[in-house]
Amino acid sequence: MFEKTLMAGNIAIAEGAISAGCHAYFGYPITPQNEILEHMSKRMPEEGRVFVQTESEIAAINMVHGAAASGCRAMTTTSSPGFSLKQEGISYLAGANLPAVIVNVMRGGPGLGNIGGAQGDYFQATKGGGHGDYRVIVLAPATVQEMMDFTMLAFELADKYRNPTIVLPDGFLGQAIEPVTMRAPVTKLPEKPWAITGAVGRAKNIINSFAMEPINDQPRIELIRQKLERIRQDEVRFESINLDDAALVIVAYGSAFRSAMTAMQMAREEGLKVGIFRPITLFPFPIKPLSDLSRKVKRFLVAEMSFGQLIEDVRLSLGADAQVELVNQFGGVPMSADEILEAIEKIMK
Amino acid sequence: MHEEIAIGGFGGQGVLFLGRLLTEAAFREEREVVYMPSYGAEKRGGTVWCNVTISDERIGALFIARPTIAVAMNSASLTRFEQTTRSGGVLVVNQSLVPETVAREDISIVYIPANDLAAELGDSGGSNLVALGALLACRAVVSVSRINKIMEDMLTKNPERLEINKRSLNRGYSWTQQNTQAARQV
Repeated sequence: MFEKTLMAGNIAIAEGAISAGCHAYFGYPITPQNEILEHMSKRMPEEGRVFVQTESEIAAINMVHGAAASGCRAMTTTSSPGFSLKQEGISYLAGANLPAVIVNVMRGGPGLGNIGGAQGDYFQATKGGGHGDYRVIVLAPATVQEMMDFTMLAFELADKYRNPTIVLPDGFLGQAIEPVTMRAPVTKLPEKPWAITGAVGRAKNIINSFAMEPINDQPRIELIRQKLERIRQDEVRFESINLDDAALVIVAYGSAFRSAMTAMQMAREEGLKVGIFRPITLFPFPIKPLSDLSRKVKRFLVAEMSFGQLIEDVRLSLGADAQVELVNQFGGVPMSADEILEAIEKIMK
Repeated sequence: MHEEIAIGGFGGQGVLFLGRLLTEAAFREEREVVYMPSYGAEKRGGTVWCNVTISDERIGALFIARPTIAVAMNSASLTRFEQTTRSGGVLVVNQSLVPETVAREDISIVYIPANDLAAELGDSGGSNLVALGALLACRAVVSVSRINKIMEDMLTKNPERLEINKRSLNRGYSWTQQNTQAARQV
């Protein structure tokens, strides 16, 4: 039995990484995720592991590339403007079939934006923010417990598929404090025969994302294509609440989902039959579960802290005959339960 | 039980500490709890606030729009809470720094001179604990003894500070019981 403790979301990410066996952490400060960097600066040396405060976000993601190529579990964390800077590095990691965990504690944007929480990096995270044909697994926590658990899961999935994996909370979740059950440290890490470890007594391993002749590059790219198919097939995760009798379903993730929970309770007190569908993996997006749901429910309300990004995936999943409305906040302003309730009432009354 | 507590004041009044104390106490009483602090430039001299939601159920929203209990340590936070405090709720007003009164009949209001009461005890920084005492006298969201125990655990190396803190907390509690209608009838 592991003890329950009170913890902030950002600290839970750091502790989750340590429990998952993260051997090397590279980060550059940016609000609202600085507590991760600060906590790691103390804890990683305590554990005899690697902590580097780099000179830039770009340096951090490229150090992650090197560490991941050597076979160890590696992570970097940042917030929105820093996430933009890391995109080239993420494309290179994906291109080299390297596992790594990137955490983006999203803040208000675009540009330098502000330090409030937001969900404006949805497209960038889920559609491939860097160049070329690749996708990354994207996990969206909604509680402090999930900040820890999904960070651990991200390491597991990254290794399983040799693919970068992103944990995508918003800044509000980073600051929230909730009870957390600590998790057992991962003791058995996967073998990585492909890693660059010195090639003593074996053929050399080569890790790169480049070939002069396109024809010679096909095996590498085909590997990426095939694993994305497997990820789409096997890694879809979601949570559904009160769908049995729902006449309207809210689709939301992260702290917008939390507000949607309260809005759903208030709506049900008014006799309005509301349920929630919450994507946990933003990629792979739960297309089929939503599509199945659209045979039963025809009215959907997307609640997100961005101009209307999540709603595009929801619309694609649901098909043409579903009614899909948007209620949103953006630019670092939290989504309130009252706003969602108002939108529910407008549709249902 | 489900309480949504909003606390606001100037940076330095111990608003966030008050919220953390309530959060820790609720946690130790094995309830669901969420603590959400304000986070940003307002820490530099402006108004600081925090939310604490305590419940027996899974907690939804991180932010509180309409608190069931509000503590206004300065005028700016009263401006917000006098409108948002939920009907049937409790509003604790630090009368030492807040000259305004609230024209609402549907909530219980405690005007407590928190800074003055703390100063009388020689604890000029203890207005937050006086206000916490007032809050607990109106709604037993957590027990006073639980708060005392947490402070004991925090201040093992500073027994003098601990005694002063306990006195401030108890002063707020007993003052509210003696001087207001809002206190729970024991």
